[in-house]
Amino acid sequence: MYDTVFTERLGRPAAVLVNEGFGFDARSAASGKGMPGVRVVAETVPCECTMPGRITSGVRAAIDDVVAALTRPLSQEERSPATRRADPTDGVVFKGDLQEVQRFYYRRGWTDGLPVIPPTEAAVQEMLAGTELPADHLVGRMIPRLGRVTVRKIAVNAVMAGALPTYLPLLVAGVEALLDPRAAFGTWEVSTGSWAPFWIVNGPIREQLHVESGTGALSPGSIANATIGRAMGLIVKNLGGARKGLEDMGVLGNPGKYSMVIAENEEANPAGWEPLHVQQGFRRDESCLTVSFPNTYLQIWPYGSDDKGIMRAIGANMVPRWRQLTLLVPPGHAQALADGGWTKEEIASYLYEHARVPAYRTPEFWGVPSIVHRGSRPPLNAEDSVPMLRRPDSLRVVVAGGPGTFMGLAYGSSGWVTKPVCLPARWESLVRTYRGLVPDYLRY
Amino acid sequence: MGGSYEVLSPWAEVDPVPLEGISPRLPDLRGRRIGLFHNGKVAAAPILDAVQAELSGRFDGLTFARFGRSANLEVAETPDRSRYEEWVNEVDAVVLAVGD
Repeated sequence: MYDTVFTERLGRPAAVLVNEGFGFDARSAASGKGMPGVRVVAETVPCECTMPGRITSGVRAAIDDVVAALTRPLSQEERSPATRRADPTDGVVFKGDLQEVQRFYYRRGWTDGLPVIPPTEAAVQEMLAGTELPADHLVGRMIPRLGRVTVRKIAVNAVMAGALPTYLPLLVAGVEALLDPRAAFGTWEVSTGSWAPFWIVNGPIREQLHVESGTGALSPGSIANATIGRAMGLIVKNLGGARKGLEDMGVLGNPGKYSMVIAENEEANPAGWEPLHVQQGFRRDESCLTVSFPNTYLQIWPYGSDDKGIMRAIGANMVPRWRQLTLLVPPGHAQALADGGWTKEEIASYLYEHARVPAYRTPEFWGVPSIVHRGSRPPLNAEDSVPMLRRPDSLRVVVAGGPGTFMGLAYGSSGWVTKPVCLPARWESLVRTYRGLVPDYLRY
Repeated sequence: MGGSYEVLSPWAEVDPVPLEGISPRLPDLRGRRIGLFHNGKVAAAPILDAVQAELSGRFDGLTFARFGRSANLEVAETPDRSRYEEWVNEVDAVVLAVGD
C-alpha cells in the first residue's frame, strides 16, 4: 500500500488491486501515510493464488473498477482531504468503576481482550519512575498509524498490561528494537503470516526483574514474562494502530502475540558458549533485549541424550520454509553438546550445511517465490539438495528451559535485533522496591 | 465493583501532518503507457498479466512497463527507490498488485 502512496506522490495516478478482505487494512495504511484518498480496487482473486483461471476471472470482474480508478475525475475530498478527526489522547477519557472501565476500554478496541489495570494518572506516574527520560520524550513513530510513541504513552500501556515500573526501560528498548529498520517490523506486525514478536532478555536485568529462563518460562505465571510481552502488544495496537482484523491481517493469529518473553539462562551456557546478546555484539554485563518474529513454535525431544542424538533430532525436525530459527536448548542438552565439542556457531553452520531437503520440498521449486528467497535462483532439479536455513548465521542457540529433554524451535523469517536497556541512575533502589514481588506458592 | 477510576487514553497522538490529495486522473487510457508494479508475492505478477490482457482488449495503443519489488520492504525504503522514480516518470499511470 505504501508503494501506492509513493507512486501518487511522484505525480502519477495509481490504482492498487487488493483482495476484497483487505480493503480496510489498505485504507488504514494509506491514511496513516497521510493520503486517505488512494484508490483501492477490491478484487476476488484468492490470496496468493496460483490458479490462472481464478486470477483471470477475478481481474476481469474488477477491470472496470481499475479503469475508473485511473480515469474518474477526483472528488473534492480526494483532491483535498479534510483534516481527520482527532481522538482525544490527553487527559482523563473516562471515569467509572472497575467494570465500567474494562467495558469502556474494550469497546474502544484498546485491550487484548483480557482485563486491564486502569491507567490512572497516579499509576502512570508510578510507572514513569522507571525511567529518567522525560514523559514527552518521543521514542519514534510506529506504523501503520504513525502514532507518536512517547514515554508517557508507553507507560499508560504498561500500566494497563500490569507491568511494574522496573519493566519500563525494557519496554522503551523494545520499541527501539521494533522501530529499527533491520527488524522489518512493518512487514511482520500486520502480515497474514501472524508473526509474533519473540522477546529474549539478556544481562543482569534478567535476575533483577525475575524474568524467567527456567521451567515453563514461556508459560503463564511470571509477572515479568507475562506483562512485558503483553505491554508490547498493547503498544503495537494502541500506539502503532495495528488492530486484529483491521490492520493486523494475520490469517490465524498467534497466541504468542499475548506475550512471548524469555530470559536466556546465561549461567548455564557451557564454557565457550556466548549468550545471545554477546553474539549480537554487546558486552556480557550489558542488559539487552532482542526481538525476532517467529510464527511457529515446535517442541521436540532428542533421538538420544548425547550430542549426536540431540543434533540428529534438531536436523530431522527442521522444516524447509522460513529458514530462520531460534533454537531453545535446555541446560542439560547445552552441556551435552558442549561436551561433544559443539559451539553455538558450529551448531548453526553444521545445520546449515547438513540439514537439507530435496528441492521439491521447498516453495521456490514450485514457483512460489518465498519471501525469504526472493530474487535467488531456484533449484533446477527436484532432487537437488537445498539447505533448510537461509545462511549459516540464520540460527541462534539460546539456553533456556528446565530439567527435561524437550527443546524448542521457533521458526521465523526475520533476523534478531538487539537493543541495550538504558537504566536510570536510581536503578538499584528501584529494583529493591519491586523485586520482592514474587509468588509464594503453597505446598500441598 | 466499588471505587471510581479516572483513566487515561492509551491511544497515540499523531503528528498534525497535512493530508495529501491523490494525483489528477487521466481523461482516457487510449494510447497511454501503463506501469504495472508487483510486490513479489506469487499472485501479483499473474494478476498484472491479466490486467494487461484485459486493458489491451479494451483500449487501443496501450503500452506497458513492468516493475517488480526486489525486497520485502516498501520500494521507497530500498536501493530501488531512484530506479522506481525513473520508471514512474516514464509511464502515465500505475496499476499495483499485491497478490493478497
